[in-house]
Amino acid sequence: MSKFRITEKSDLNSQDYLIEVEAPQVAERLRPGQFVVLMTHEKGERIPMSVQKAEDGRITMFIMRLGKTSLELNDYQVGDSFYQVIGPMGNAFPIQRYGTVVWCSDLVCGHAENYAYCEALHRVEGNHVISIQTFPTKDDVYSEEELRSVSDEYYVTTIDGSYGVKGHYIDVLRNLLRERKIDLVLGCGEIKMLKEMADLTRQHGVQARSVLRQIMVDATGMCGACRVFIDGAMKLTCIDGPLFDAHKVNFDEVINRLGMFKKPEGMAKEAYLQSREDP
Amino acid sequence: MMEKKRVPMREQPVEDRIHNFDEVPLGFSAEEAVAEAKRCLQCANPPCMDHCPVLVDVKKFVNEIAEHRFRDAYETLKTSNPIPSIAGRVCPQENQCEGVCTLGRVGEPINIGKLESFIGDWAMDNDVEEPLDIVERPEKVAVIGSGPSGISCSVDLRKHGYRVTIYEALHKPGGVLQYGIPEFRLPKHIVDRELGYLEKLGVAINLNRIVGLNVSFEEILDEFDAVFVCTGAGAPRFMRIRGEELNGVYSANEFLIRTNLMKAYMFPEEYDTPIVVGRKVAVIGAGNVAMDAARCALRYGAETHLLYRRTRTEAPARAEEFEHAVQEGVIFRELVNPIKINGRDGWVESLDLVRMVLGEPDISGRRRPLPFKGSEFREKFDTVIEAIGTMPNRLFLERAEGLEVNKWGGIQVDENLQTGIPGVFAGGDSISGGATVIQALGEGRTAAQSIHRYLSGKN
Repeated sequence: MSKFRITEKSDLNSQDYLIEVEAPQVAERLRPGQFVVLMTHEKGERIPMSVQKAEDGRITMFIMRLGKTSLELNDYQVGDSFYQVIGPMGNAFPIQRYGTVVWCSDLVCGHAENYAYCEALHRVEGNHVISIQTFPTKDDVYSEEELRSVSDEYYVTTIDGSYGVKGHYIDVLRNLLRERKIDLVLGCGEIKMLKEMADLTRQHGVQARSVLRQIMVDATGMCGACRVFIDGAMKLTCIDGPLFDAHKVNFDEVINRLGMFKKPEGMAKEAYLQSREDP
Repeated sequence: MMEKKRVPMREQPVEDRIHNFDEVPLGFSAEEAVAEAKRCLQCANPPCMDHCPVLVDVKKFVNEIAEHRFRDAYETLKTSNPIPSIAGRVCPQENQCEGVCTLGRVGEPINIGKLESFIGDWAMDNDVEEPLDIVERPEKVAVIGSGPSGISCSVDLRKHGYRVTIYEALHKPGGVLQYGIPEFRLPKHIVDRELGYLEKLGVAINLNRIVGLNVSFEEILDEFDAVFVCTGAGAPRFMRIRGEELNGVYSANEFLIRTNLMKAYMFPEEYDTPIVVGRKVAVIGAGNVAMDAARCALRYGAETHLLYRRTRTEAPARAEEFEHAVQEGVIFRELVNPIKINGRDGWVESLDLVRMVLGEPDISGRRRPLPFKGSEFREKFDTVIEAIGTMPNRLFLERAEGLEVNKWGGIQVDENLQTGIPGVFAGGDSISGGATVIQALGEGRTAAQSIHRYLSGKN
């Protein structure tokens, strides 16, 4: 059994970073759309993670410095090992001919998914893959070259306009939908923007799917924490998703449920930062 | 001279135990166990053994305790029950051995459960192991799931000499013993030690292997000569009423997994998985899982109400759990049922409830609860935990081609626990949809016999 050794770690920008870890059993089977569950140590959480790449027995994850675990993860160095990398979890996305596909992302997990999907879709003849990334500002941009290499068209937007198109992916998408025939739009990132993406594509009668990143515990269908309501029917993000028809997702509920553990998570983060100050 | 009263079981005082997750009964001392065992009438035709799903020779092991022959008692127990320390703690003895104990007609039945766990614990504490003489066989058997039926099936198969590999989806083995049953009822060091026995026997346990996801059912069928599917009933049922999307609503499974497997009660100091418990908690249901969830909620400091649509008489929970829950301050409210969860700012604020009356008996033989029209009322709660039952996990079932599912969502098997696929057997909650640990143990043993017959007849 592999020890889940970290083989690469680097900053993507001031907030996000990349970790590559040895996990041959996971890497061998993981397909775009699937995710992994990471446990940093034996007493750690089981955290669902998006995977950007799975190759040569290694997987690459994009992580944001946010809660206690992601801060703690930040302290792990190349050569250190994680307790567990479990997976692949969830359903693989069928890689086939869809026509013109747009992939949108504006958050760390989304950027990882963006690459994973585009890399596979791009290789199918007949697909025209358009990848769009959104960042707050120029200094935050990452994965541009990699995404260019796996897409037929690529756009980067910055909210402040300091790089690429000024605005959000939603602005680029709006133009694309107006100008030409799009067959499928996919996205992952800020939920409120996914909701806009869903509304926009619905108006144009274009299919849209969004990757949901709900809170999970076991991620095998046991706890029901990641339940979402699709067209009113309860589905579990872990075993029914994580990709859902964006036109059927109740995004307000999705946003609400993401906030369930904000308070204790804040506490844990505080306690962790404190413990690092006075060792 | 017949002693009508049991030797009292010492317990953690209520005022202490509601602030910790340590085990509630403190267990018999050797002297107490002997004294309790000496009460046994040693019936000529003991009914207790027949009422045990794994046919423990109760009369014999109790007599061995009475004669202070603990090692013999251990060996007697182990021939039929591979995990006495666990079964003694979680079996519903009042419906089985103790329920039919002859002494029960004139006084209190023998405390068979506590004697059983006493012997199991004694053996662990004294590193006593049963003598083993395994004659190796070449055939390989896969066991999918490491809960009670997986454990008993693996042990029996291994004793026959088969090469047994367990696949477990979670990062710790034991299934419901690990994620479901709380520490104060079944300490995890007991589970770990009983499972250590499997490894001593030479059973391989592969953790984090989710059949259907990171190892396919086909691969298992290719690699192994026989398969035992015991994936449990790990998927939660929801009431399907309005408001279940709100924050503050948990399935009992989520609440218990956070608490037992992930140790949320040690958050954030030691463990990283959080839990949010409000001031006033409603637990829906009255089975063992409901009791477990309610007693956990109480330990998190909440005023805890158990809401049940029938009455105490119909409540499926084990007697000891119900008593412990009520002693600890859980408020049991019968004949009441939730119809809607109301929220404010995305969080649970109250429940709409309706009072129930009991009508004619239904197919389960229990009187059917019916809503009492016009009795609807609203009550404030911050947290709702739904403990209305579980069902087999479709993660595996949907990905196991060829396995037939019965109308209850369980795997279809014949009387030998064989599925429609030759060499593939199933048992435990994955066929019944939710029963007891001991029933699962029994089915594991039955499956082991069937697998043995299948494999030895094949060659």
